[in-house]
Amino acid sequence: MTSRLDPQPLEWLDRSETRSFEFEGQHYIGFAGDSISSALLASGQTLLGRSFKYHRPRGAVTLANHDVNALFQSSEEPNIRGDVTPLAAGMQLTACNVNGSLAKDRDQIIGKLSRFLPVGFYYKTFHKPKKFFPLWERLIREKAGLGRIDTGWSVRRKAKTYGFCDLLVIGAGASGMQAALSAAEQGLDVVLVDENPQIGGSLDYQLVNEASAAVVRARLKHDVQNHTNIRVLPGHLACGWYTDHYVPLLGPDGIIKMRARAVISATGVMEQPAVFRNNDLPGVMMASGAQRLVARYAVKPGQRAVVLTANSEGYRAALDMVKAGVDVSAVIDMGSLAERGVWADELNALKIPVLERHTVYEAQGKEQLKRVVVAPFDGDKCDSRDAREFDADLLLMSVGWAPAAQLLYQAGGRLAYDSTLEQLLPQELPNGIFACGRLNGAFTLEQRLADGERAGAEAAAFLKGEPLIPALAACRDTQAHSHPWPIVDHPKGKNFVDFDEDLQLKDLVNAAKEGFDNIELMKRFSTVGMGPSQGKHANMNGIRVLAAVTGRSIDQTGSTTARPMFHPVPVQALAGRRFRPERLTALHPWHLDNGAQMMEAGVWMRPEFYGRPEERAQAILREVQAVRTGLGLIDVSTLGKIEVMGPDAGKLLDGTYTMRMSNIKLGMTRYALMVDDSGVIVDDGIVGRIAEDRFYVTATTSHADATFRTLSRHIVEWGLDVRLVNRTGTLAAMNLAGPHARKLLKPLTDIDLSEDNFPYLGLQEGTLCGVPVRLIRVGFVGELGYEIHLPVDAALQVWNTLMEQGAEYGIRPFGVEAQRVLRLEKGHIIVGQDTDGLTNPFEANMPWAVPLKTKPWFTGKPSLALLKERCQRSLRGFMLPQGYSGELPKECHLLIDNGDIAGRITSIAYSPSLGRYIGLAMVDQPLASSERMFQVRVDSGALVPLEPCSTPFYDAEGVRQTVDLTEVA
Amino acid sequence: MKVFDCPVIGRRPISEFDYVGEVRKPPMDADEASWAAYVFNRQGAPGLLREWWYHRPTGRWYVMERDTLKDEVVRFIDLEEVRYDIPA
Amino acid sequence: MPWRLLKYGLKSSHDEPRFFPESRPLKSHYDVVIIGGGGHGMACAYYLAKEHGITNVAVLEQGYIGGGNTGRNTTIVRSNYLTPEGVKFYDTSLKLFEDLSDDFDLNIFYSTRGHFTLAHTDSALRTMRWRAEVNKHHGIDSEVVDRDFIAKEVPYMDLDCAGHSPVMGALYHAPGAVARHDAVAWGYARGAYNRGVEIHQRTRVTGIRTQGDKVTGVETDRGFVSCNKVVSMVAGSTPRITSMLGLDTPIEIFPLQACVSEPVKPFMDTIVVSGSLHVYVSQSSRGEMVMGASVDPSVLHSTRSSFDFVEGLTDKMIDLFPFMSRMKVMRQWAGMSDITPDFAPIMGKTPIEGFYLDAGWGTWGFKATPVSGKTMAWTLANDRNHELIEPFRLSRFTDFDLVGEKGAASVGH
Ligand SMILES: Cc1cc2nc3c(=O)[nH]c(=O)nc-3n(C[C@H](O)[C@H](O)[C@H](O)COP(=O)(O)OP(=O)(O)OC[C@H]3O[C@@H](n4cnc5c(N)ncnc54)[C@H](O)[C@@H]3O)c2cc1C
Repeated sequence: MTSRLDPQPLEWLDRSETRSFEFEGQHYIGFAGDSISSALLASGQTLLGRSFKYHRPRGAVTLANHDVNALFQSSEEPNIRGDVTPLAAGMQLTACNVNGSLAKDRDQIIGKLSRFLPVGFYYKTFHKPKKFFPLWERLIREKAGLGRIDTGWSVRRKAKTYGFCDLLVIGAGASGMQAALSAAEQGLDVVLVDENPQIGGSLDYQLVNEASAAVVRARLKHDVQNHTNIRVLPGHLACGWYTDHYVPLLGPDGIIKMRARAVISATGVMEQPAVFRNNDLPGVMMASGAQRLVARYAVKPGQRAVVLTANSEGYRAALDMVKAGVDVSAVIDMGSLAERGVWADELNALKIPVLERHTVYEAQGKEQLKRVVVAPFDGDKCDSRDAREFDADLLLMSVGWAPAAQLLYQAGGRLAYDSTLEQLLPQELPNGIFACGRLNGAFTLEQRLADGERAGAEAAAFLKGEPLIPALAACRDTQAHSHPWPIVDHPKGKNFVDFDEDLQLKDLVNAAKEGFDNIELMKRFSTVGMGPSQGKHANMNGIRVLAAVTGRSIDQTGSTTARPMFHPVPVQALAGRRFRPERLTALHPWHLDNGAQMMEAGVWMRPEFYGRPEERAQAILREVQAVRTGLGLIDVSTLGKIEVMGPDAGKLLDGTYTMRMSNIKLGMTRYALMVDDSGVIVDDGIVGRIAEDRFYVTATTSHADATFRTLSRHIVEWGLDVRLVNRTGTLAAMNLAGPHARKLLKPLTDIDLSEDNFPYLGLQEGTLCGVPVRLIRVGFVGELGYEIHLPVDAALQVWNTLMEQGAEYGIRPFGVEAQRVLRLEKGHIIVGQDTDGLTNPFEANMPWAVPLKTKPWFTGKPSLALLKERCQRSLRGFMLPQGYSGELPKECHLLIDNGDIAGRITSIAYSPSLGRYIGLAMVDQPLASSERMFQVRVDSGALVPLEPCSTPFYDAEGVRQTVDLTEVA
Repeated sequence: MKVFDCPVIGRRPISEFDYVGEVRKPPMDADEASWAAYVFNRQGAPGLLREWWYHRPTGRWYVMERDTLKDEVVRFIDLEEVRYDIPA
Repeated sequence: MPWRLLKYGLKSSHDEPRFFPESRPLKSHYDVVIIGGGGHGMACAYYLAKEHGITNVAVLEQGYIGGGNTGRNTTIVRSNYLTPEGVKFYDTSLKLFEDLSDDFDLNIFYSTRGHFTLAHTDSALRTMRWRAEVNKHHGIDSEVVDRDFIAKEVPYMDLDCAGHSPVMGALYHAPGAVARHDAVAWGYARGAYNRGVEIHQRTRVTGIRTQGDKVTGVETDRGFVSCNKVVSMVAGSTPRITSMLGLDTPIEIFPLQACVSEPVKPFMDTIVVSGSLHVYVSQSSRGEMVMGASVDPSVLHSTRSSFDFVEGLTDKMIDLFPFMSRMKVMRQWAGMSDITPDFAPIMGKTPIEGFYLDAGWGTWGFKATPVSGKTMAWTLANDRNHELIEPFRLSRFTDFDLVGEKGAASVGH
């Protein structure tokens, strides 16, 4: 059986291209331009899915991206919206959320039990006895959810783009198009979007057979598409409104992040269902849904129809059905014919019976509508004693509308109920937000055009800063298009308010009666509006029900918050392309070529050690030994490197760092410790003096940007005459360390390396291998060492020369791990490892870095003055007992004292130089100041003794870093 | 996404800025309690707040007076206004 | 009149008692006024009535019950904190949670799922070990696990994170759980109401009256009520309340956002948090993926959503779960988080007599609902800070005696 009609004037189909596909194992054929649902309906398949909870048969209702009971599953995606997803050739689809098959869904039994599952039933059961809940939960979880995901699916990402415009008009129906034109005429740069693949909006399905609309349609479409100031984007969904008119537009090629200066919402209205028994049967549709089906897809929605209406649009729909060859048995008008206008007259002329002041009491049928039971209706309740029946396989509902006001709400707009139109209407809109069309209560074509013109003009005036008195309500209709109470009770229920969630009228009423009589509470308790359509058909009736139960007005009842997204948006489009910037030093390729194992250090990549992963320990050992006995070279380019220049440079650094920097001698450096206002250590590095008014500052890799930022802010807030240059990216740095360091450098540099000229902590400028460099005598790893700072493009050349020339001293490149061991032997801390988010310099055992007496002020000083006497813990060195061979403690294992936590290990490593394990621990008082042995609890739970000891562990006098031992020897 | 209409650099999205928080001046000769209050307490209630914003791409600092309820920048503060002297 | 019809139609079938009272006039005096009808306020009312026999109590809620952060949170309950004071406090809460359904005779869907905090760097791994050791010391089931363990428990996760910042290990906390947030507030509210506590929704506190340094009552948009004690349990609105008293605190308000996907059949039983990627996810009993990230970067007293949030979140999430790129985000929302400098709450007495504070719940206060209610009720009844909350007293900031939770700062839900 096929329900495909002859070509319709505005249909979306490309009949030259057929597309075959499978659904539930059956073969089907549709056309290019079909949606999945339309193709199935065209082939006579009216059962499209099952409901979420009761697994009731469901069909097409809106064809407007609201048909969340017609969701499909493919091998590529879950929850495919059949009503709007374009049919693709070769699709293999099944129904979503069925147990067995769509036709024989075993979970239909749940529907039979619905009597025993009152609203919120799951809050009232399953929890006793407690131990059974997990079992119940598993059962419930199995029934939850809709589609199935395959965890093997590969990642998909869609690139995003940015867009800018003066005015974004959302919705390309009559009023939206007119608004766009009116604004464009004023010279604004306008973007007009519509979620449908074709512009026209309801002009193209509701007024498709309306002669008067044809001219308007042709003019509007032509004009918007040819106006130089308008960009038309069909097939783009405005996902949501975000601060400052930022509206992401989801299109077939991904998301355009549109930044507008003003927005007009011409998003129209969403048709609302009538609530009666079995209003969810396949064959019961929104009138506009049936009109879309005919106009867009040329599918005949049924053979025999009954139309339920409370407005003139219902008559229009009935006429359209007749035109499509549907046999319309009757129009059931909830009110009176007299109010309905010309379309009703036209229908009357066709001698189709109209039952006034009646409504549908019940629909009947098993998997498909068979019969409609109607009864007299007094506007409130219906009298089922006078019920009449009509055989029908199609029932159209045209009982009212709810504004698609989500974007307005998100922008902070306020809507109020208008009892003339029986609809919520915009009442107060924030700056730069405008609304027009049916959303704004303009219903006739004339009103819509006038309202669009008005909104466009108001937006233009707003953007040009011209005065214009807003007249939001100027073009509104004066008669209702919605019934205030399209709801009838039925003793047997199954009169659904929410199709997504299978909620019946009594569920909402009972929720309210149980005290959930606030609209938000009702939503949360009953779940009304929480399904995939986010209540597009349920919220309005939900509000009406609650208002009725509580005796409050619609406005007093309020509505739930409309949160983004407008429709669900694919993660792949939101995520966009993957961008994970990594910073690589100039020597990165060398490291890779020489077997470095790289590790992430903040945004940087650094060599961890050189060698195969399985020989990690030996490799680190080799590197440590090279530094201690020969030479080592490490890439430290990731250090923050900041040039500080100007008359107030010293003052800036004095205020920023704990120690005084303004009195550093030319050509010397000093350890630089930075604390925050509360005295907590945040960074360390060195400050060197290049000239009277010029300093060079280093910062740790991870804190480099923050340090630069802090310095630059202090310049502003202290009103200093200082300039900063962040040279982190333009300078490379390497540390040459080991007893032979000076010997290696001597022939390569014009700098006088003699101890007198260039002592420990000195800083000199000159050339090395012909390259301009800054050399700094540093002691972090505890040997004679020179940090070489140089332009990045020369780094590789210098590094290579040092490696070549250093071969005779056994030079080795070393990585971060060896450096950690080396510095630990010297007792130097690593900020962030040996300190935590609350550690102050006293706790870190650096009272020498806090000149409370000699410096009048530095950031954090008053805090440190307070903290000095209140230290509750202290960083201590320790060693594992000589010859210890048991289970090894790890960093962050806890010290235990009398059964209580008394600190933790912050660093531990095997010291090749000492032949023992050494480490640092943050130890609580009083243990820290005692000479008692520490005990640490290792993984097995055993307590391992630690011998507290002073630091440095190695070369306590610092001879090796100050004197050239190879020359002494 | 919020956009700031900045002097000199024009309209820039908030994602280009680092937020550093309330503008405050340390009390130089405070007693313990008022020093602690300076360090930890903040003007937490909604209202006009002067805040530091750092524009990463240009390295510029801005102090904006922002309504933290409406998320609207009321004005850009002349940086002279937030200056204070530190003892040298 | 439709409602008559409705009442008629329903009388016969549905005779469940009300959870909460209908709107009624305020009394002129209460012993205790609780500002805020979120989980914390309701729990405090419940325990005041149940454990201390104090029932001349009014809970004043400006909106509806649970409409603040209680109804917006992602419901993660865990006790694997870093500091002993934190561990003890949250563990007490977790144990209360386990019996709450029974206690209320209302199923709060407390569901133990297991909670992974992924470490992508060795420094994160070190912090995990620190937490695990502290946890174990206090008898909490918590351990550092390696990639193999994670791969077995969460086989569908890409531990290599698409080639950047691979997962190196995790802190695994088997008791980590989720619960139905609303039901927790409702259960407490019903229990309090049944014991005589008054609950007034749509009642906003607009001022607090004091005489000397003592509280005498509260102003509301429905008039003045006198009372002996006031406790503020308003999370993201705390500074508005404390500023009524001129009381300064370190609390700043930052939006915290979350989102859910369309529902799919359950496949994920665990809760996965990645501190480095700043994302976390669990699957609700409805089948939605409940996802969140860290707080927004700047102060804001608003529950607006941002697009940057969903962009950033989804981008990172599909590094861990590539297949989720085929799903859809259905709804996003935000709450206002009351953040403290040391990521620990502020609880108990204040310099103003009769004014008590329960705040600073930031991104992590849902899990504290039972224990906060219980200890605050005790504190109100005894006019003395309960020992579990003493470390969280407001004066710790004057004493420079902060709580060390900051050491574990990451996405801290
Ligand atoms: C997105 C998000 C995710 C989160 N995820 C988690 C998580 O996974 N785990 C976790 O443990 N925590 C989480 N949290 C934190 C948690 O939600 C909160 O800390 C907790 O719910 C606070 O509860 P409360 O009862 O104190 O506050 P709320 O629930 O916010 O209640 C405060 C109430 O006070 C009312 N109020 C305010 N001002 C007034 C006034 N003047 N007069 C009367 N009433 C007033 C408000 O309307 C509100 O209802 C999350 C928070 C958010 C926002």
